[in-house]
Amino acid sequence: MVPLWMYLLVAAGLFSIGMYGVLARRNAIAILMSIELMLNAANINLVAFWRYNQPAQVGGQVFAAFVFVVAAAEVAVGLALIINIYRQRRSVVADDVDLLKW
Amino acid sequence: MFEVPSLSDLNVGATLPVTLLALGACVLLVVDLFIPRERKSITAWLTAIGIGVSLVFSLLSLSGAVEFGSGELAFSDMYRADRLTDTINVAALITALLGVMVAYDYLERTRLQRGEYYILLMFSAAGAMLMGAANDLVIVFIALELLSIPLYILSGFRRPQEASEESAMKYFLLGAFASGFLIYGIALIYGATGTTNLPEVWDAVAGVVAEDSAAKFLVMIGAGLVLAGLGFKVAAVPFHMWTPDVYQGAPTPVVAYMSVAAKIGGFAALVRVFGMGLSTFVLESGAPAAWQDTIWLVAVLTMLLGNVVAIVQSDLKRLLAYSTIAHAGYILIAVAAAGTAGLEDTAAQAVVIYLIAYAFTNAGAFAVITAMEKDDASNTSLDALRGLASRCPWLAAAMAVFMLSLTGIPLTAGFVGKWFVFKVALQADLVAAAVVGVLTSAVSAYYYLRVVWMMYFEEGEGDAATPPALAWAIGVAAVGTLVLGALPYLLSDMAREITLAFGG
Amino acid sequence: MEDISLVTVVFMLPLVGVLPLLFVRSLSEHTMKWLTLTVSLVTFGLSLLLLYNFDTRVAGLQMVQKWDWISSDSFTIRYYVGVDGISIWLVLLTTFIMPISILASFEPIKDRVRLYYIFMLLMEWAMIGVFVAQDLFLFYVFWEVTLIPMYFLIGIWGSEDRIYAAIKFFLYTMAGSLLMLLAILWLGNEAGTFSLPEIFAKLNSGELSFSPSTERWLFLAFAIAFAIKVPMWPLHSWLPDAHVQAPTAGSVILAGVLLKMGTYGFVRFNLPLFPEASETFAPYIALLAVIGIIYGAWVSYGQDNVKKLVAYSSISHLGFVMLGIFALNSSGIQGGILQMVNHGISTGGLFLMVGMLYERRHTKMMNAFGGIWRAMPLFSGLSLVIVLSSMGLPGLNGFVGEFTILLGSAGSQVLSLWFTVAAAVGIILAAVYMLYMFNTVYMGELDKEENKRLPDLNWQELWSLIPIVIMVFAIGLQAGFFFNYMDSSVRDLVQYLGDTITAAAGR
Repeated sequence: MVPLWMYLLVAAGLFSIGMYGVLARRNAIAILMSIELMLNAANINLVAFWRYNQPAQVGGQVFAAFVFVVAAAEVAVGLALIINIYRQRRSVVADDVDLLKW
Repeated sequence: MFEVPSLSDLNVGATLPVTLLALGACVLLVVDLFIPRERKSITAWLTAIGIGVSLVFSLLSLSGAVEFGSGELAFSDMYRADRLTDTINVAALITALLGVMVAYDYLERTRLQRGEYYILLMFSAAGAMLMGAANDLVIVFIALELLSIPLYILSGFRRPQEASEESAMKYFLLGAFASGFLIYGIALIYGATGTTNLPEVWDAVAGVVAEDSAAKFLVMIGAGLVLAGLGFKVAAVPFHMWTPDVYQGAPTPVVAYMSVAAKIGGFAALVRVFGMGLSTFVLESGAPAAWQDTIWLVAVLTMLLGNVVAIVQSDLKRLLAYSTIAHAGYILIAVAAAGTAGLEDTAAQAVVIYLIAYAFTNAGAFAVITAMEKDDASNTSLDALRGLASRCPWLAAAMAVFMLSLTGIPLTAGFVGKWFVFKVALQADLVAAAVVGVLTSAVSAYYYLRVVWMMYFEEGEGDAATPPALAWAIGVAAVGTLVLGALPYLLSDMAREITLAFGG
Repeated sequence: MEDISLVTVVFMLPLVGVLPLLFVRSLSEHTMKWLTLTVSLVTFGLSLLLLYNFDTRVAGLQMVQKWDWISSDSFTIRYYVGVDGISIWLVLLTTFIMPISILASFEPIKDRVRLYYIFMLLMEWAMIGVFVAQDLFLFYVFWEVTLIPMYFLIGIWGSEDRIYAAIKFFLYTMAGSLLMLLAILWLGNEAGTFSLPEIFAKLNSGELSFSPSTERWLFLAFAIAFAIKVPMWPLHSWLPDAHVQAPTAGSVILAGVLLKMGTYGFVRFNLPLFPEASETFAPYIALLAVIGIIYGAWVSYGQDNVKKLVAYSSISHLGFVMLGIFALNSSGIQGGILQMVNHGISTGGLFLMVGMLYERRHTKMMNAFGGIWRAMPLFSGLSLVIVLSSMGLPGLNGFVGEFTILLGSAGSQVLSLWFTVAAAVGIILAAVYMLYMFNTVYMGELDKEENKRLPDLNWQELWSLIPIVIMVFAIGLQAGFFFNYMDSSVRDLVQYLGDTITAAAGR
């Protein structure tokens, strides 16, 4: 069987890619997709931990289900906000999300 | 395989304040459809009544007059109805009520009067309340989203105004980014302990530390990620960068509400997760919990950055945004103090006292800005305050009270908050953090007093409009600030029975 | 509820006086002035009753009032007020100075009158609070609250650079007191109570004790807060700004009462709470005090602005007070306390005097005057008495205080004789700058055209100077009466200091 650490490694990799995407990309849609990567990395962790450590209980699985429900809600709101901006400016480049602004 | 709990097992009664609020919001969502556009004041009233009823129930529960439900735990150990829950409920509901009052006239004059505003506000208040009641990491996460998603929408409520939309997008992107951290952190803690239930986490972490297994590192990284996720909500350095931009761009009444509600929720969750769940994460016996050093360092950085950068601001909303960052730092000192064994309860009390004091003061300060702000969202610079004292003496006096309270001058609520925070910090031997805290308070006096001096010492055309609802909100906030300052036992008695220990 | 103590009445009366000013919209300016004056006079009258009821044989607190304010499982905070031989004169000084400064504001203050008198009464309330509070929390509350009215008084009604001066005053004093806040919290955490008498009792019984290094840190945390307020050299730089920019009544209150809060704090807190550290630091503090005496006098002499001259002279005079207190013996401390009162009276008088000159000529520069005596004989005569009192002429109040302090410091076991010698030089310097000032402003030819038709005192001015002159003579000639009240309390304090210091030496 595939050992647990492999799942964790994949999850950590996904999480890092997502984080890199959020920090490096300037397109709001791309940032949103990167955030989804991070959430799904967490989901992989949850499910893997559940399967390997506590297969008898549903905790991890249920949590993963919650995460993607909430993520869907978040995306719905987020896309609406982004479309709003797009209508006005014809651009979704989040140039103004200037992380280092004092 | 699994037992389906019956309705009576759920112990819904214990969750009455928050359930009522959430149900009320759902019902109102439908009712609002039948309220004509020009009579949205009905929605505002219904919201206020809903919040009021929930507040009454919370106060009843807090005073111990009525026992709701049976026992502390509800919803299969997901929800914990104890003193902390009650006090956080009260704080969140008062903030929500002030939020409705501040918003009403603003929405009217900017032609934004829509029922969704109030309903979203109710949902986010329910989120803040749930964070204080979380007995399970799942609830922490869901409550956080319930608190945040409405706030994203509210920040962008003033569309098509660009600043508002932009602030909503920033808030959303960074907020979602932060929830990514939070979930990943929770997942790691789940991996290390095999549970998401906080009392069980508490137990399991002690075991993990005792075994000295590799799971220790999972807990450590997990705790760090959870701290980052919640630190974002409360605007702690280095997760603060969204704060000034969002607060400046979002509609002022929204800021009045969210600057407080997000902090109440965030700190309640920090207390629950760290003070309760992870308090056994002690790596050397006799030492404080391993996360204490990190949190107080974050607190020190937060206080320094917030206060120092606030000095150079010329826009009032931005200035207060940095001030809210600084205040997050003060409360974080108390959270850090919870890491010392035996001080969890005192620290949680200090956090709650500070939060309630802060709720009145900060919501009031932003309410005053709402009164000053023109319909095109201008007139919020420091210069706009010039001469306000001679035109609107009571408004200026109220603003002066809020500023003095934020500085932490005695006889205002802010001082009581600082007193308890610094007291517990010294008890926990966090002398360095306490010293930085008092010195940065002295620094903060400069920019808060600058507001006072603009109003009182300078001549100018400063003007403001205070329609009744707004005037009441400012009045209630100012009187609350002064009364809690002069009669500090109101706060300390309310908080004194807060305990994080697991009841049996 | 038990009986309400007279101290509470005196303390709360000014706050009650604020209420009509705040809420009765229809008051005319005239009524507001008189209302405020009446409130402050009644407060003064009641505080005389305080003196009458005071038992001079008792060392401890009298007319105590104690209510629980915040109670928790691990500590209590009380509304705890009372007076003893150390604070009674300072309470009286406050209630004495306030009517005078209110009367002196009748003419000069024409702008935002309501706000002004509200702040005056709040000021009085907070200052009395500082002197009667016997609980560390309560003390700290009023210690900080005094800043607010003064900030507004300077900032709204001050002269050109008022905003700078107001901010500097506020930040300087607040930065110092915040460290004291930490020390207070630390003490309270250790002792489980914030009320002072209980902490003393615990210290006495050995239930509470500090390691020498902790004691020193605590001493310093308190001392910095107080030293900024006094102000001691080199922490004095806020004082000239605040004094020069403040309106006349503001300067009078600042010099008359606010500065005394610092010296009072040393006597009330530093000495009895940290006796060993007091002994350790006494020479250093005395050194700073003496530097302050000489420096203040020297800089005063160099001023061409009368108000600045008086401001710097305060630094010099308060150096004497500090020297007396840290002689750590009976006559030093008694002289120090009496000198606090003296300085309040005579420097208050000097500031009034400067204010009256300013009202007439709108300048504070010395060279604008000269020969005023001929134009305003009454004013000049009263001024002479105040000037002489300030420089310590025998028979007037300043002499008694300074002389007792010098006696104390000469006989002190902790200070070398050199401090006394240097301080004596300071007295001579005081005579030099004061007489120089008097000479330039009042004597000589009445050569400036503008000065020839200056009107003499009007009734408000006259009645604000007369009580001061009366007190100058009263304390000068009947000092025994004043010492009598502080005798037991101070003797007790010195006894305690002596005991613990000997005990420490024996360890």
